[in-house]
Amino acid sequence: MAKKTYDLLFKLLLIGDSGVGKTCVLFRFSDDAFNTTFISTIGIDFKIKTVELQGKKIKLQIWDTAGQERFHTITTSYYRGAMGIMLVYDITNAKSFENISKWLRNIDEHANEDVERMLLGNKCDMEDKRVVPKAKGEQISREHGIRFFETSAKANINIEKAFLTLAEDILRKTPVKEPNSENVDISSGGGVTGWKSKCC
Amino acid sequence: MQAEQHQEEEEEEEGEGGGGGGGSEPEGTFRKSPFQLTVEDVYDMSYVLGRELHKIGSEPRAEVPARVAQVQFKVVSVLEMLEALVNDSSLTVEALRMERDSLKREVEELREQGSRGTAEQVSLGPNKMVVDLTDANRPRFTLQELREVLQERNQLKAQLMVAQEELQCYKSGYMSQKQDPVELIRKEPTVGSASGSGSEEKTIIKRLFGFKRPR
Repeated sequence: MAKKTYDLLFKLLLIGDSGVGKTCVLFRFSDDAFNTTFISTIGIDFKIKTVELQGKKIKLQIWDTAGQERFHTITTSYYRGAMGIMLVYDITNAKSFENISKWLRNIDEHANEDVERMLLGNKCDMEDKRVVPKAKGEQISREHGIRFFETSAKANINIEKAFLTLAEDILRKTPVKEPNSENVDISSGGGVTGWKSKCC
Repeated sequence: MQAEQHQEEEEEEEGEGGGGGGGSEPEGTFRKSPFQLTVEDVYDMSYVLGRELHKIGSEPRAEVPARVAQVQFKVVSVLEMLEALVNDSSLTVEALRMERDSLKREVEELREQGSRGTAEQVSLGPNKMVVDLTDANRPRFTLQELREVLQERNQLKAQLMVAQEELQCYKSGYMSQKQDPVELIRKEPTVGSASGSGSEEKTIIKRLFGFKRPR
């Protein structure tokens, strides 16, 4: 094997209703491109993107899940390994927003307890078709103590910012190699000190 | 004398007719309940009436009014029987008509259900679906099979990315000395979005080659 081309590997997961734009959000981030044709994701897919944060090369392995109910047993088995999960809804689709609470429950059931979560209201370029006010997204994210962005994969709004912010949040609570009592404590699952008390 | 003779005749014929009329004399049929009448009784009544009318013609005039009154009485009782029977049968007809209509409706309902039958029977359960076996796009693989295929696909994809990365490392080292016009990898999975010394170097090289890449 060649030398490692990265310092850290973060596994991220995109979840949300079918058609909200999870794949497009990821495609914009990984390939800086956008495709209007809708192709439903089959089960689960992933993309890799390496970013540099705080002088560290971080390889992001981003899992893109199918939103369709029929794939749920497949997709939920990928929650466990995720360090960060993006919950995506469509601001032009009220149902996709209502279902966010369902997706949050899925996280509670299937993901690691300390997984970093983030809420994205996608398709914010379609202001004329908006049915979910920004304030509603902000409210639910506040209630669950998670970050929130309105994004547009099509118009490239907040996409990179969202991924980098999520990666930074994970990096912040990732134990560093240098001895640091606070962080070592956290990695062993002891739990009440450090980032946890700060962020939750 | 004549009357006696008639009496005898009556008794004689009573014996014959009585056999068919269920053991009672023909005169008795006029006192029967109309709902217990048989065809034999009707024949008996017709016989009695015919005989009496015949008598009227052959008897002395003085006895005619009394005979007519007798026949009238019998005719009235026959008509009363007829009335009772007609009333009853019209009630029966009405009842049968209603029953027929309700049965017709029931048959129609059952027939309708039958036409929807096959589809409905299968989709009776809330979590059932109908699969058309002639449909080329019908679902036919299990979730477990799909899971395995996806796992293998993703594993191979990850391996390809590692191989691409290694190739890129090798190529960038190789190409910085001797420029190779052949560009095998179109996508660079490790290009960082953030500016960093390492990735910056790489992207510059990438860009240089990107321009030369034949399209």
